[in-house]
Amino acid sequence: MRKQTLVKALEKGICILVMLIVLVPFIWMVSMAFKTDAEILSFPPTFFPKEITWKHMTAIWKRIPLMTYIKNTVIFAVGVAFVSVMIDSLAGYAFARIRFKGRNILFSLILLTMMVPFQVTMIPLYIETYKFGLLNTFVGLILPRAATAYGIFFMRSFFLGLPKDLEEAARIDGLNEFGIYVKIMLPLCKSAFITLFIFVLMGNWNDLLYPMMMTSSTNMRTLPAGLAMFVGEGLTEVGPSMAGAFISMLPLFILYCFAQKYFVQGIAVSGMKG
Amino acid sequence: MNAKEGRFYKIRSYWNRPEHAAYLFIAPALVIITLFVIVPLVSSFVISLTDMDIFMQDVKFIGFKNFLKSFREERVWNAFLNTFKYVIFSVPIQIAVSLVLAFWLFRTDRFSKLMRSIYFIPVICSFSSLGIMFKIFFGSAVGFFPYVISLITKNGVPSFWTDVRYAFPLIIFISVWKKFGQTLIILVAGINSISETYFEAARIDGATGKQIFRYITIPMLWPTLSFVIVTTLIGAMQVFDVVFVTTGGGPLNSTETIVQYIYSRGFGNTYDLGYASALSVELFVVIAALTLVLRRYTDKKVEENT
Repeated sequence: MRKQTLVKALEKGICILVMLIVLVPFIWMVSMAFKTDAEILSFPPTFFPKEITWKHMTAIWKRIPLMTYIKNTVIFAVGVAFVSVMIDSLAGYAFARIRFKGRNILFSLILLTMMVPFQVTMIPLYIETYKFGLLNTFVGLILPRAATAYGIFFMRSFFLGLPKDLEEAARIDGLNEFGIYVKIMLPLCKSAFITLFIFVLMGNWNDLLYPMMMTSSTNMRTLPAGLAMFVGEGLTEVGPSMAGAFISMLPLFILYCFAQKYFVQGIAVSGMKG
Repeated sequence: MNAKEGRFYKIRSYWNRPEHAAYLFIAPALVIITLFVIVPLVSSFVISLTDMDIFMQDVKFIGFKNFLKSFREERVWNAFLNTFKYVIFSVPIQIAVSLVLAFWLFRTDRFSKLMRSIYFIPVICSFSSLGIMFKIFFGSAVGFFPYVISLITKNGVPSFWTDVRYAFPLIIFISVWKKFGQTLIILVAGINSISETYFEAARIDGATGKQIFRYITIPMLWPTLSFVIVTTLIGAMQVFDVVFVTTGGGPLNSTETIVQYIYSRGFGNTYDLGYASALSVELFVVIAALTLVLRRYTDKKVEENT
């Protein structure tokens, strides 16, 4: 019995150690963002700031167009999440609850596109967007992501789980198919909607390669693409860099604090398709 | 007017029948996926056979020249080797760490929940912001970690990012650090979907924690595990962000991965879209082959254990 409690304690100890490994870089980053320049450069380095300054937190907004980056990221990520949840749920609903010719083939085809790595489609996608004249526009950023195989799969699984004869009564009452979807189905899938919305939002909010490729002008850059350019120019000023990294993490972190359940759900369900 | 109304009514009643309405429901998704996944996929193979550059003028069909050229280019081999090296280290470490932690933390007590939600924080951060953070954290100028190391070794402050020996392990560390929380969540969901009766029966038979892990959790978890292995591997083959924002491929190309190289050939400075496409087709073939082999292995495991 004593050996067992010892093992349990050891397990907990390792868990806490891992927690520290996760948290220490973050805490250090925040502390660096508030240190004075002299303290940042002092040796031996301090972990916590002795004196707090807001200088870097205000300076970073002038050093890089951070506000523009944030605005662009919000428009891009929220736009994609909003549109793709609509389109994916429409398709997922049809695949789950309506019998039609070619349903299985079309659904397998969509699942198959999940296997295609983005890098393979990347260059033609760039050319396509260029030919459509949509490079450096929000439409060009959002449209290619407006439907995802995973989203369709996710919504289909959800609609499959709803009671079987939900729509029969409505059909007898003379409601048309779109009416059934809007009036009967949508109110039931609020939590599935939020889960998928956050899943897509997080993926696009943090995406680097895609927005970097699709935008070349500074005033269209998203946060990850803009910050990556900032890294490329060499991190000459530690304070503002850390402030920039910290500020760019805040929006999703705050959302995570309030909607943790939905962040986790989207990931957990993704494991179930295997 | 009446005829028109009649036709309108006819069309409406046609599309109102469920088996027809369904096509309207899936049409937007199908159009988007065709236009932005399937067409580019096919075009990719075509473009890889041309000498197209970013200006897209005078494009000539050059057969397999791009592929032949890439087989002779040392930097391509180097990039593929680095990618494999990344896969071989990061995938097993990430899955092993998550698996052990998942076994300890799958319950819904407060401690487990707290740990899981903290481990998930790096998952919601972008590699760009984490890149800035870690570049400075591990950097020799003001970084905290090299200072701690210098206290232990008493050999002065090491400079990790410019040292060929340390840059690669650091990249592996950062990517495992960022992603293990996500794998953990998937595995926890997998463990919790195993029926409690198996665990109870084992406990009644006096099985130890280790035995339960070895003979019940792992075998029952194989479907989830196989998904995790395959997706983590596919993701790792496409590694880009973590390298781009930390070393940018350096020092001396020692951390340059294949996607990084595709990006720099296509969009970095030379704008060889044809050549970059050929490289991406090669990557696609490698990923497809690896997935097939791995799937065969994991499917066998799943079958053996169910």
